[in-house]
Amino acid sequence: MGGLAVIAVAAAAFWLVRDLPGGNGGGMGPGTLPKGLALLLGLLGLALAIGSWLEKGLPLERWSVRGPLLILGALVVFGLAVRPLGLLVAGPLAIVVGAFASSEVRWGETLVFGALMTAFCIGLFKFALGLPIPLAPWLLGY
Amino acid sequence: MEFLGHLALGFATALSPMNLLLAFIGCLVGTLIGVLPGVGPIATIAMLMPLTLKVDPTGALIMLAGIYYGAQYGGSTTAILLNIPGEVTAVVTAIDGHEMAKKGQAGTALGIAALGSFLAGTVATLVIAAIGAPLTKLALLFGPAEYFGLMVFGLGLAIVLARGSVLKAVIMVVLGLLLATVGTDLETGQDRLTLGIAELSDGVDFAVLAMGVFGIAEILRNLEHPESRDVAVSKIGRLLPSLGDLRRSLGPIVRGTGIGSVLGILPGNGAVLGPFASYALEKKLAKDPSRFGKGAIEGVAGPESANNAGAQTSFIPLLTLGIPPNAVMALMVGAMTIHGLIPGPQVMLKHPTLFWGMIASMWIGNLFLLIINLPLIGLWVRLLKVPYRLMFTTILLFCAIGIYSINNNPYDVYFTAFFGLAGYVFIKLGLEPAPMLLGFVLGRLMEEKLRQALALSEGSFMTFVERPVAAGLLVFAAAVMVIAVLPAVSRSRAKAFQE
Repeated sequence: MGGLAVIAVAAAAFWLVRDLPGGNGGGMGPGTLPKGLALLLGLLGLALAIGSWLEKGLPLERWSVRGPLLILGALVVFGLAVRPLGLLVAGPLAIVVGAFASSEVRWGETLVFGALMTAFCIGLFKFALGLPIPLAPWLLGY
Repeated sequence: MEFLGHLALGFATALSPMNLLLAFIGCLVGTLIGVLPGVGPIATIAMLMPLTLKVDPTGALIMLAGIYYGAQYGGSTTAILLNIPGEVTAVVTAIDGHEMAKKGQAGTALGIAALGSFLAGTVATLVIAAIGAPLTKLALLFGPAEYFGLMVFGLGLAIVLARGSVLKAVIMVVLGLLLATVGTDLETGQDRLTLGIAELSDGVDFAVLAMGVFGIAEILRNLEHPESRDVAVSKIGRLLPSLGDLRRSLGPIVRGTGIGSVLGILPGNGAVLGPFASYALEKKLAKDPSRFGKGAIEGVAGPESANNAGAQTSFIPLLTLGIPPNAVMALMVGAMTIHGLIPGPQVMLKHPTLFWGMIASMWIGNLFLLIINLPLIGLWVRLLKVPYRLMFTTILLFCAIGIYSINNNPYDVYFTAFFGLAGYVFIKLGLEPAPMLLGFVLGRLMEEKLRQALALSEGSFMTFVERPVAAGLLVFAAAVMVIAVLPAVSRSRAKAFQE
């Protein structure tokens, strides 16, 4: 399983650099190293796949969907919102979306906590450290 | 004495009020974040890096080093109080430290850990100051071919010292090297592996990769295993160890410092092996080995000293050769690059105040840890009682703001999410991400040096054979790899990592 994934990555990388000149003899082109590494990675992946096929390894762990989906979703939402809407909106949004990754989520607590944490982060990053992160361009203009 | 002059210069820099304040804040916030269960030093540094963006380079590095020590110490605190080692190096501390805590001696365990760390840090600072200058002079003699050989050797050692299967470690290193080739080609300016995304033409940002693979992936893993935290340790007990405790700890501290200092210089898991080696040694030397695992103070004092000594001497390859020996030091490279510094022998020559100031600040940082931590332990304990559902959302928001702020680019946040997913897949497949990070950092440097070396030799690979130092390093690299896969050695290696 791991071996197959590694082979897939290697194949994808090799395909992506197929057009880059490899260079030969006289020097290395931009494509030499990525191609070589992709090839090496593919071979190693093959070894891993064969190895785990020969001796039965540990059973695969259960994969969960909720955690990854919502945590990564929270990051994406933050990224989408931070420029146009500012930290004032992106902060609580990320916390609310992220909080649902845990089954212990509570609406009221999350809202209050999100507001508090955002206020804290605005104070710390925007005012104390002076980082140029937008606060609320639609409301304050910065 | 050149050596004393350097130290004097260093202390003059590090003792300026601003730098003292930065070291203090670094240690404090480092401990604050490091004490959170499941947040190791790598995630801590990546998360707090934006705090240093507005500071001058010297101050920024002093603060980051403080964050690193703080995170290390925070990891030991959770190991002792909760039996949750925040990172691998604290695993050993948890064995006897948590037993001591159960017996109501949590304070003594924390106290001896702080004292041992301080003594180890003092010695390690002197070691760095003593061998920093000679090593830098040696490094200046190295050409591209030698550098390439040295890096291959470093990666070889890192693979051998990595936990788990050698094959998987090699895969992760190669994956890291491949990731490093993403972006614009150094010589021709052609885009490679960028998928047509303009934001990738500068390559993958190191902080983005580290935060995704360590910070975000850790959250995903912790959410799956809601760990039962027994903060049942209500009594901390007295902090200062008794005279008898001190007498018993002195030997382990001295030996741990020695072991840790030497292993810390090695690439890869060198610094991680220190505590394990120290624990094994103390158990062997003890009159009554059966006390170990049941709350022996030697089992805390030795490994904690080794841990801290190794944490510090691992700065040596970074500062003198410009080669980061492990993932934490790789993050330091990232931080230095943000501030326009290229790690390597030039740093000491061109920026002597930065170089020696940082070394002196290591000792000051250790002193701060001693001063901050002992009175604040009560606060850390209370922090540990915060439910995880509040903790992880906070970490998430900090990560998002931090990553965005490094380049003010929302794309970095998306890439972090992507690497978080990748890190989750790695955990599921049993692949260790640390070797990948090392491969990634060394990758770009290696390609540069390789192509420089080949350009100098007009394309002949014979340059690596004809230059004795380069050839020697490559042969060594091949040798350690071969030895690692020999059946007999790999068996004892597996045993060594089990302990």
